[in-house]
Amino acid sequence: MTFRGITVLVGLASLFAGLVIPVANAQQVSGPVKVVQLTGLASVKDNAKGTLQVENGQLHFVHGKASSDVSASSIQDVVTGADSQRAVGGTIGLMSMAAPYGGGRVLSLFRAKIDTLTVQYRDADGGLHGAIFTMPVGTSEVIKKELVAQGAHTTSDKEPAAASAASSSTPNKEQK
Amino acid sequence: MMKRILNAEIRLFLLTAVFAASPLLAQKNKPAKIKAAALQVEMIQSDEIKLPAEFQVALYENLIRQLEKNGFSHVYRDGDRNAASVAELVVLHSTVRGFKAGSEKARQVTTVSGATSITVHCQFTSPDGTSLLERDVNGKVRFFGGNLKATYDFAKKAAHVANENFSTPGTE
Repeated sequence: MTFRGITVLVGLASLFAGLVIPVANAQQVSGPVKVVQLTGLASVKDNAKGTLQVENGQLHFVHGKASSDVSASSIQDVVTGADSQRAVGGTIGLMSMAAPYGGGRVLSLFRAKIDTLTVQYRDADGGLHGAIFTMPVGTSEVIKKELVAQGAHTTSDKEPAAASAASSSTPNKEQK
Repeated sequence: MMKRILNAEIRLFLLTAVFAASPLLAQKNKPAKIKAAALQVEMIQSDEIKLPAEFQVALYENLIRQLEKNGFSHVYRDGDRNAASVAELVVLHSTVRGFKAGSEKARQVTTVSGATSITVHCQFTSPDGTSLLERDVNGKVRFFGGNLKATYDFAKKAAHVANENFSTPGTE
């Protein structure tokens, strides 16, 4: 085999691996998942970045040195959804809006798909709380499954495949 | 000549007096605020309109936060047992009447399209169910921000309505 042939083979193998590995990673979540807590957890600021894990019957969110736990048995509803966000966000994304010739607007076209996880739970007094998380694609269903297995309730008992198919047609997904 | 100037002055004075007095009269005609020792916020209902779960939760959480910010020191959540013993409790029931998902991408690319809007019917009742006040409040995001920002806009407006019509012991 020539050097050219080997290069093409390695290139194809890398491309295939690049396509398959992220999917495999998304489906098998072991350990904490990087998430953004949009709102709802007591004593946690909005848009706090952290990790989420289900262990010992608790939904465990760690943000910096602080952590917040929600008992799975107190969860009344877990719902997953699909959304998208700007690939280039934050301060750079905001500054790019001022770029000449609509450069910032072009950047807005590049969007990354994300999963959302919405949890409704009751506190010790019976008060209802709601928390919303965003996370990498494919991870929300796994967390939902783990929560349900550890005693959480859900009103949408769909199989992951069915759920993902449904989520593509729900209003959750942005209109393109 | 002098008489004409005097007449004009009198007319001007009367006109000014009428304009100056109108806001005062309006304030007098304003209905008195309803006493509310505490507010209990029920979960947002959306039976007729299909609303994504994250919007429902964001509406609820933002509403509670904005009510607390607007001077309601005691805001109880849906199902909170402590609310049962409170005198002069006002219960806020919210039902989604309209929802347009919009698109953040369309907003960022075109500026003029892709607005997200939510219309919520807010009903303030006494614990026995007697209606005290009903209003339709909407939340919108037209230019900047994610779709969920519409829930924040709604919450701010709803809290303003509550603040205008209800008085808590501390804010009288």
